[in-house]
Amino acid sequence: MGFLGPNGAGKSTTMNILTGYLSPTSGSVTIDGFDIMDSPQEAKKLIGYLPELPPLYQDMTVIEYLRFISELKSVPMKQRKRQLDEILSLIKLEDMQKRLIKNLSKGYKQRVGFAQALVGNPQVLVLDEPTVGLDPKQIIEIRKLIGALRHEHTIILSTHILQEVNAVCSSVAVINKGKIAATGSVSDFTAAEGTVSKFVISVVGASARPEAQKVIESAAGVRRVDFVRVDKDAYIFNVESEKKTDVRRGVFNALSHANMAVIELRPIGRTLEEIFIDIVSNEQGTEESR
Amino acid sequence: MLTIYKREMGSYFRSPVAYCIIGFFMAVVGLMFWINSILQGSVQFSATLNAIGVYLTFIVPIITMRLLSDEKKNGTEVLLRTCPVPMWRIVIGKYMAAVSLFLVMTILTFIFPVLIAFLVEEGAVVGSAQDFGSYIGFIMLGMAYIAISLFVSSFTESQSVAAVSGIVVLLIFYFMQSIGASLGSKIGAVLQWLAPLARYQDFTVGSFNIASLIFYLTFSAMFVFLTYVNLERKRVL
Repeated sequence: MGFLGPNGAGKSTTMNILTGYLSPTSGSVTIDGFDIMDSPQEAKKLIGYLPELPPLYQDMTVIEYLRFISELKSVPMKQRKRQLDEILSLIKLEDMQKRLIKNLSKGYKQRVGFAQALVGNPQVLVLDEPTVGLDPKQIIEIRKLIGALRHEHTIILSTHILQEVNAVCSSVAVINKGKIAATGSVSDFTAAEGTVSKFVISVVGASARPEAQKVIESAAGVRRVDFVRVDKDAYIFNVESEKKTDVRRGVFNALSHANMAVIELRPIGRTLEEIFIDIVSNEQGTEESR
Repeated sequence: MLTIYKREMGSYFRSPVAYCIIGFFMAVVGLMFWINSILQGSVQFSATLNAIGVYLTFIVPIITMRLLSDEKKNGTEVLLRTCPVPMWRIVIGKYMAAVSLFLVMTILTFIFPVLIAFLVEEGAVVGSAQDFGSYIGFIMLGMAYIAISLFVSSFTESQSVAAVSGIVVLLIFYFMQSIGASLGSKIGAVLQWLAPLARYQDFTVGSFNIASLIFYLTFSAMFVFLTYVNLERKRVL
């Protein structure tokens, strides 16, 4: 699940409350039946948290630090070594395990933070902006890692980067000014913009604009055709139709019968980016609470 | 609790902090030993212990200054608060680590009574009950001071603020005795009763007081508890 919002929307605060770092002034957090305030020990065992700033002891080596964490999370003695080995190889930290944390680069520190969250194999992973400040290659690696982990863990990820949600999340909650502005799956957000599907079509070979428009309108299922502009000898239109019927084949056939050629045909799905900006700017007036 | 304790001990001895404190402490003790025992020709080490009690005011806050403030600075406070370990165990673990470092320092000073044992003429009594009692008192005083300065440091994110305010608060406790004496009224008596250093000085002149022992232990426990309360309180924004 992606947790999306502009800077200062309350993403980190929400995550801090979810993990029991801060107490909520109202409401409650329940993890697998355990309330984080009433039975914190049980609930916190189920969560691995990677805060915005990885919580690292600079004076320890990577392996010392991870051993400390597994003691802290009371991982059974026998499992400790095996679990840490697994995590180190998963995060690709094996070569760094004897290095002092303060001498690691930012990317590696982030990975150590990630490793820390995985210790104890928690059901829920809460990741607060896990890719901030990393270089593009590292970002892709971290995203891959999240992609690999999502099959075994419930992951809550906060970010203000939209591609990240697109890349790794199955569902999204958009928050703005401390309120949830919208929720749903990623495909809900991108595709389900009403029942209408739209595409852009560029046509050549027509002698005049109305001629091409008429031909397109004649195709079965087309609801509306809007002229956009002329580009050299091509006429460009926006075509709308019912979602359930795909009219593109019909339009193409109609045009070719009329001796006109289609040089471009491209569906318009609204990007997450546009939707996000819409939601955030529209929410100013019509706020809905949780 | 043990996890936190081990980490704190490791971190004391990995950094130069512990060595600096121990070095400074031993230098002070050595000097006091020279003045109070060698120059006086006394076989009682308790006179030296009496004198170094005052210096704990400056040494103890240095021991405790980074225990809590470093966590906030590094962002590792989040880790401790979100791990399945209750806060009171974390506080006690940290307190025990500071006490242990203090015990290490105390044990190192055993070298001086041993030195006396080698230097004295045959037949003189060394390793007296008074020395033993003084050591007990010294450890008690140290524990109480560590608890106070740990509590003070729980209010700040900065090591230096923690150290300075710890010293200031311990100085206030130090002056309580003389302020209480000059006031003379009932309030003065209460202040004198509360002054930790005066009780310690009783130990060093040979009066072993069970009431004072209990006083120190409850005093320490109370401030450790207050530290815990203060940290729990901060969870609510």
